[in-house]
Amino acid sequence: MATVPLIAPSEELREELRARGGTSAARCFQCATCSAVCDLAPDGRPFPRREMLMAQWGLADQLMADPAVWLCHQCNDCTARCPRDARPGDVLQVVRSLVIERLAFPRSLGRFVANVRTTWPVLLGAPLLLWVLLLGLTGHLGVPAHLVSWEEVVPHWMIYSVFFPVTLLVMAAAGVSARRFWVLLGSTGPPRKGSLPVALGAVAAELVTHRRFGCCETARPRRWGHLALVWGFVGAAVTSGLLIVALYGFHMELPLPLTHPFKILGNLSAVALLVGTAILVVERLKDPDRVGRTTAFDTFFLVVVALVVLTGTLVEVARLTLPAAVGLPMYVVHLSLVLTLFATFPYSKFAHMLYRTLALAHERMTRENDQPPDPTD
Amino acid sequence: MERIGVVLCSGCDIGKAVDLEAVGGVAGEEGAAWVVSHHALCEPEGLETVRRRLEEDAVDGLLLGACSQRCRADVLCDACLGVPVERAALREHVAWSHAPLDEDTQALAEDLVRMGLARAATVRPPEVLDEPVEDTVLVVGGGLAGMQAALAASALGKPVVLVEAREALGGFLREVPGLPPHRPPWDVPVPNTVGDVVRQVLDDPRIRVITGANLERISGQPGQFEVHVGTGDGSETFRAGAIVQATGAEPYDVSRLEALNPDRSPDVIGSVELDAMLASGELRRPSDGATPRRVVFVQCAGSRDPDHLPYCSSECCATTLRQAARLRQDFPEVEPVVLYRDLRTPGTLEHLYQAVQEEGGTLFLRGEVEAVHANGNGSLQVGLAESLLGDGVAVPADLVVLAVGMVPHSADGEAIRMLNDARERAEHGESETQRAEARELVENLASHEGTEILHLTYRQGPDLPVLQYGFPDSHYICFPYETRRTGIYAAGTVRAPMGPAEAAEDAWGAALKAVQCIEAARRGEAVHPRSGDLGVPDFFLQRCTQCKRCTEECPFGTLDEDEKGTPMLNPLRCRHCGICMGACPERIVSFPDYSVDGIASMIKAVEVPDEDEEKPRILALLCENDALPALDTAAALRTGWNPWVRVVPVRCLGSVNIVWIADALSRGFDGVILIGCRYGDDTQCHYVRGSELANRRLENVQETLERLSLEPERIRLVELAHNEFHRIPELLDEFAGEIEEMDPNPYKGF
Repeated sequence: MATVPLIAPSEELREELRARGGTSAARCFQCATCSAVCDLAPDGRPFPRREMLMAQWGLADQLMADPAVWLCHQCNDCTARCPRDARPGDVLQVVRSLVIERLAFPRSLGRFVANVRTTWPVLLGAPLLLWVLLLGLTGHLGVPAHLVSWEEVVPHWMIYSVFFPVTLLVMAAAGVSARRFWVLLGSTGPPRKGSLPVALGAVAAELVTHRRFGCCETARPRRWGHLALVWGFVGAAVTSGLLIVALYGFHMELPLPLTHPFKILGNLSAVALLVGTAILVVERLKDPDRVGRTTAFDTFFLVVVALVVLTGTLVEVARLTLPAAVGLPMYVVHLSLVLTLFATFPYSKFAHMLYRTLALAHERMTRENDQPPDPTD
Repeated sequence: MERIGVVLCSGCDIGKAVDLEAVGGVAGEEGAAWVVSHHALCEPEGLETVRRRLEEDAVDGLLLGACSQRCRADVLCDACLGVPVERAALREHVAWSHAPLDEDTQALAEDLVRMGLARAATVRPPEVLDEPVEDTVLVVGGGLAGMQAALAASALGKPVVLVEAREALGGFLREVPGLPPHRPPWDVPVPNTVGDVVRQVLDDPRIRVITGANLERISGQPGQFEVHVGTGDGSETFRAGAIVQATGAEPYDVSRLEALNPDRSPDVIGSVELDAMLASGELRRPSDGATPRRVVFVQCAGSRDPDHLPYCSSECCATTLRQAARLRQDFPEVEPVVLYRDLRTPGTLEHLYQAVQEEGGTLFLRGEVEAVHANGNGSLQVGLAESLLGDGVAVPADLVVLAVGMVPHSADGEAIRMLNDARERAEHGESETQRAEARELVENLASHEGTEILHLTYRQGPDLPVLQYGFPDSHYICFPYETRRTGIYAAGTVRAPMGPAEAAEDAWGAALKAVQCIEAARRGEAVHPRSGDLGVPDFFLQRCTQCKRCTEECPFGTLDEDEKGTPMLNPLRCRHCGICMGACPERIVSFPDYSVDGIASMIKAVEVPDEDEEKPRILALLCENDALPALDTAAALRTGWNPWVRVVPVRCLGSVNIVWIADALSRGFDGVILIGCRYGDDTQCHYVRGSELANRRLENVQETLERLSLEPERIRLVELAHNEFHRIPELLDEFAGEIEEMDPNPYKGF
């Protein structure tokens, strides 16, 4: 008997899942309809039935180390078909938020962001305050008579001095979480084969079209929204990179004319971001039985993204059409929202980028045979 | 019947398929008193035509060449027309199933009329039994089912005697703290109201309760049972018309489940013990008196297990859910865990399951429980294989509750009878080998010693025959509550495993059957399935050879024996199936309207064409209960079958006397097919074992055929369910095809 693992149900974890909105897990009676209808569940390792049981029992260790939690794209085919209304899609979503919190570094920040229902004024207000203070202390709060470039309002050195350290800190924290998660994933199940970079490459290739997301029937519009958003961010990031090169490598003058290729790329990205965000917001507002219930944790991330995209676009429009007195606060608000988004990356829903990518890579590296059945077939 | 009138109906396409004038001519040749035709016999004008003809020229009986005997019994019955009626199914078996105006079709119709007339000639009016019948219903067992049966019979106006072995009424549920929900909102256990039922029974002036009583002897037959009851104060005798056996069930003995509890931990208890704790309000571990935190329920403990109870008791899951709900309510710090193979919550119990889950304090895990082990520090752990959380895991436990199934409190009447007979043979056997064999049998059956409950004085044993798992049910899904002893009905957990609500409903069903039986006995009629049938069998005992086949083969224990072994009929126990008639080698058993002679006359009435005409004839003996309805349905769907087939409906394949097959072969029939109900474990025979007996008897016939150098394949028995109407024409065609392959019956024309 000594070798048999003793199951340790945790009432505390059950309470926590309940508090986060996973109350429906208790209703699951293990019929496996969810696993049967899931187009993403790999053969031989079906989910989310087992995860529902783990959630019922409060088996934290198993849930943390389970890649299936992240293979789920929350299409809610399972929730739509569950005969007991146990809402597996929602339960997995809640579990994901729990994993993000428990693997966060430092843990206290994870808890702080997880409690976004009460802490959101700080999360949104603190960066804004920071910018206002910085600009005020350096005498940049005055409104220029004629706004030509944002450089006149917020000097580039100030942006760099805020964002570079924050990005570094965030990457370090995310790295710690990633490491923890990777170790946990490897602690159970079959051993990994092959190299991580190769697996990550394959995952990236998959992400180009969101092929996997496309398998989720109920969530079809969300796939396109998410795809547009991801490509919009990629485009924005590439534009930023090119601009830095142009600025310091070729000493170009900002602002660039609207016909400049960089400008066109940036604006196209903005359109993609706007369209993607709009789709995701609209889908969220639809019937929660189809798209899943929205928790404060989900709302916070989506709202921050939406505001970043919205203010970013408005800022560009404002520079060209509005008086500087309107443009300046808008720009400051935009910068503070971007800071919120960056700073909460390892702790908010944004972290799914990290965890899901790793889980997908892990899944590739632990597949029984090298040529898995393509879920889109 | 001597003078028989023939009525031919030309409606429903019969007139288009058959030359009815020619058929009428045949009837005349065969000695019909008169023949009338009408285009719509079952309509008022048609019936009026027949009535007028009857007034003009009275006859002893009528042959209706019209639809099947199963149709329009509302207007074409003996009572409706005032004379005994026979039927020839010209509609189903001719017009709807064969080519119109064809030579073979015409021959078939004419044969059917010949057969009908031949049979009608042998029919005698039944002698109606007029016996004194007792109204009292005897209920054996004072648990919930017994009490409800008593209340039901009383509500129907019958006096009731309720006999209970214990000193108080209430049975198993007496002390149980709460029952599974049986009313809206269906999701919380309800208070135990068995105490109210006890008071209701005690207050009912029509119910006499005898507690602390045991049955000493029951003799007689429905309507006339004589019941001897012993109590502490001596014994008493009374009469009863019908009996409801509601002797309940016991929980399976937890101590026999050693494999689940190899360490013999006292903290592994049964659901009954937990109920006692819940009732007392003191939840304590037997080992150290501590209050357990994690109470683990093991479902299917000893159930669905070939070594213990091979069946599902269907109630243990409900009991566990009820107990888990109660634990969470009374002891919120307790965490119940339910380990199950399949959680079975039939009907509305699903709501209770859902509510217990929703409350969140009870955990469920599917898996195979292997054993409970002590883990050294005073607590336990339950090992599971194939669980959904992985193979080979263990669940920590402070107290383990084994949810055990039900063992019916029944007695195997047939086994007890075998034991008694073997004991007799062991002493007075003819040879030493016989005595030794009997002694061995006595040893094997020793566990049945002294288990009698009803103490019936029936030749076939002192208690109800039981099914595979010891439940005295009827074998047949269509007849719940019916047992294989007419007038004795089983209800509640002795009949099948069930919960309190179902037991109460069962009790009503059984009480209704009991009252129905008393009323049928009063009118001298058979009970289900030949309800209303009046003709009891007649035994021509001068020719009886005391072979005892009838007493042994009767599925209902109708016949007792005198000292010499001559059968003694108890007519009110009889269900009129005719199995004794099929069994008798001397052919001394007959019913007024169903006899060896009657069917033999039908067979002989068929005109068998000569060998050179190359038109074989096939006799099809069809069970009236399943095969005949199937054939009628096939006809209604206009499915045809081979026109060489001559169908003779029989009450049960068990009533088929082998002499009919001999008659058919010597008459020149080329093949005989018998179609009856399925038999074996899932028998569908309305008389329990008729088709099985027919099959056994046929094996002997086939040997005889080989001796006569006839192919044994000429005789076939087929099992058929009544929904297999698509199959029955195929069966007949196939058989006809095979018969055609063979040479003609060489006995043709002899």
